[in-house]
Amino acid sequence: MDTLVAQLAPSRRGDEGSSSTAEWANNGYGNLDASGAVAGMDVPGVPDPLAFLSMHTDSMSTNPQAKIKLAHGTTTLAFRFKGGIIVAVDSRATAGSYIASGTVKKVIEINPYLLGTMAGGAADCQYWETYLGMQCRLHELRNKERISVAAASKILSNLVYQYKGMGLSMGTMICGWDKTGPALFYVDSDGQRLKGDLFSVGSGSTFAYGVLDQGYKWDLSDEEAQELGRRSIVAAGHRDAYSGNTVNLFHVRENGWEFIKNYDLSELWYEYEEKKKADLAAASAAAAGGVPIDVE
Amino acid sequence: MSRSYDRALTVFSPDGHLFQVEYALEAVRRGTAAVGVRGKSCVVLGVEKKSALQLQDPRTVRKVAMLDDHICVAFAGLTADGRILIDKARVECQSHRLTVEDPVTVEYITKHVAGIQQKYTQSGGVRPFGISTLIVGFDPNDTVPHLFMTEPSGIYSAWKACAIGRASKTVREFLEKNYTENLDRELTIKLAVKSLLEVVQTGAKNIEISVMESYGVVRSLEQTEIEAIVSQIESEKEAEAERKRARLAATQAGQASMFASALSAAGTGAATPSQADASGATGEGSDVQ
Amino acid sequence: MECSFGITGKDYVLLASDMSAGRSILQFKSDENKIKELGPHLAMAYGGEPGDTNNFADYIERNMRLYHIRHHHALLPHAASSWIRRSLADSIRSRRPYSVNLLLAGFDTTDDTPHLYWIDYLGTKAVVPYAAHGMGMHVSLSTMDKYWHPNQDRRDGVDVLKKAIAEAQHRLSIKFTFNAIIIDKDGIHTVDLAAEDPIGKIEAEKAAKAEAEAAAAAAAAAPPAAAPEASAPVAAAA
Repeated sequence: MDTLVAQLAPSRRGDEGSSSTAEWANNGYGNLDASGAVAGMDVPGVPDPLAFLSMHTDSMSTNPQAKIKLAHGTTTLAFRFKGGIIVAVDSRATAGSYIASGTVKKVIEINPYLLGTMAGGAADCQYWETYLGMQCRLHELRNKERISVAAASKILSNLVYQYKGMGLSMGTMICGWDKTGPALFYVDSDGQRLKGDLFSVGSGSTFAYGVLDQGYKWDLSDEEAQELGRRSIVAAGHRDAYSGNTVNLFHVRENGWEFIKNYDLSELWYEYEEKKKADLAAASAAAAGGVPIDVE
Repeated sequence: MSRSYDRALTVFSPDGHLFQVEYALEAVRRGTAAVGVRGKSCVVLGVEKKSALQLQDPRTVRKVAMLDDHICVAFAGLTADGRILIDKARVECQSHRLTVEDPVTVEYITKHVAGIQQKYTQSGGVRPFGISTLIVGFDPNDTVPHLFMTEPSGIYSAWKACAIGRASKTVREFLEKNYTENLDRELTIKLAVKSLLEVVQTGAKNIEISVMESYGVVRSLEQTEIEAIVSQIESEKEAEAERKRARLAATQAGQASMFASALSAAGTGAATPSQADASGATGEGSDVQ
Repeated sequence: MECSFGITGKDYVLLASDMSAGRSILQFKSDENKIKELGPHLAMAYGGEPGDTNNFADYIERNMRLYHIRHHHALLPHAASSWIRRSLADSIRSRRPYSVNLLLAGFDTTDDTPHLYWIDYLGTKAVVPYAAHGMGMHVSLSTMDKYWHPNQDRRDGVDVLKKAIAEAQHRLSIKFTFNAIIIDKDGIHTVDLAAEDPIGKIEAEKAAKAEAEAAAAAAAAAPPAAAPEASAPVAAAA
């Protein structure tokens, strides 16, 4: 049975970190090793990479005084319904208390059938999901068929699991349509990977859940579903200081994903407020009239 | 001259041959026969199995192996090499599930097996695997049966029906002549058994049949079932031969009467020997049938 | 934040686990199955560090399957428990250990005995008649101490499990939902904890399955007799 362990053991434990680094650094494949397998990324050449990371950056929010502030803070959400998958995200990136950008693309287009969302370290998400895109393309070329969402998310989860405890920070949702229909997976830098119908990730996720959970059901129409995604991000952008600016909305269907639109979050908020006021006025007018009116 | 190329492994001869790989193919040709037939919605593996010696436990001799729930393999050539290759493939099947969750596709594992075989033609200090394999199965979320063959050189190819091992040329020609598209389960099994009977003289007791009917549903036929199919085939052959004999007898009778009338027209008795010759010739013909 | 229970009886073993999955204060899922089937008569309930749990469980599952395919029979519960314990013991001495605790339940078909093992991330293994991991250890062990008795039948076992779960749901500040399985000589069956009589439900399912199989076998037995007739026209055509 010991041979079993040797053969099937995940390669993560052991010393792949430093020794293999030198091997792939000069062979002209970037971060791919010669066989195209996962080679990885540079790890600081110090005994404890995590301590090094938290000394110089605010990676785990452990050291707010750090000079390097990583881009953080987000609201992202995705949910499955009868018409496919809705993906909605905000577009704000903050470094410390400073809004570093208001036009971040937090939905990463892995390929025409797969979307990944970005929460946590912006660089980590962007880098590894782009890398995942390469792996998915290689899978397509090798196997003459599109990769399943389960397999794609598992590749990402195996990858980040290899770096567990070394300071990676990402919470992502991999969304797509494969032979099994619409599929949605949550993958984070702990190595956790969950299949589900509805997820929200990021500092504003609690607020997004507050709207999303109350309005969610499987039988939503396409318009209702898109509106629910939009409204949930607006709710989070309104309450969470680290989320806001604009909403990016995507819809995944059988033939791949479609970018619906980019909305200005505060404009949406005031539209919703106006509509709420108008609805209220109409309701009170109806109540004051005392005569029930048929609304067509 | 060519001797030095025989000894050094994986080195080209001046005319571009890898002798060790060709010898491995020879080992395959001397191995017991195996056939694979793809039907409409099932795929059948048939193998010739050597009779167990009197005191041997026949259960320890397996020629069809399961790689994963949905993949089976049969091989021809050196049994010991087969065991090693099968084990490597089994580990890959589970390893694939572990790393990407999905089960392997038939082509994926075939490519992997062929890849291992190729590696052993291009590495130092090793010899090629002396086996060809037939890999059958269904892809996950799919209902189309697949049949692949790999060779010691590392070549792999997809087939509708294929034979490897002893007298594979004869069996393959038989399959080429008798294969039709969209065979149902019964006919697929029958074609596999029939083609094996081309090389297996001893009948049902030296034949092993495995049928895969859909994803993860594999069954090896019982000895009695194979016997039933063999005896059915034999009785069909018998009937066929009988019909041929009858037809021949009819034509023969026709010819004889024509001769007779011709002779009587000539009006000579000296023609008797030539008439005997003619009937003797056709008689020989029917014996060959 | 997890909770799992295992209970043995005369000719069965029960395994239950909560179904929550989340991160810090958020619960992402309340229907995550944290019981892994490792073979026809073997399963484990696992918990611990997120990420480690699933990776370790998948790793064990694949190795058990590989053993089964290689040797044409599955590892028996006792052997499996030794191998899993050893995996964790090796892991704790590696650079980055798996932090996974588990309850391993199995039914030994060679001598018809139920087995339950309590295993933790340090590589401790204990053979136990009933056990708990996670939050359940604090509140429900005493419940099981009082109500469990040796050689109890299935319905009594399920009653003890229901009591243990009720206690956990009553006293713990987190709301858990549970799923459960029972392993006996026929294999692994899901226990519907919400049902009035979960065991009765399983027995009805078993009976229905046996009937279906008998019908299928009867149907399969019929064709060979009919086969020669069916293929006769084909032979004539040839």
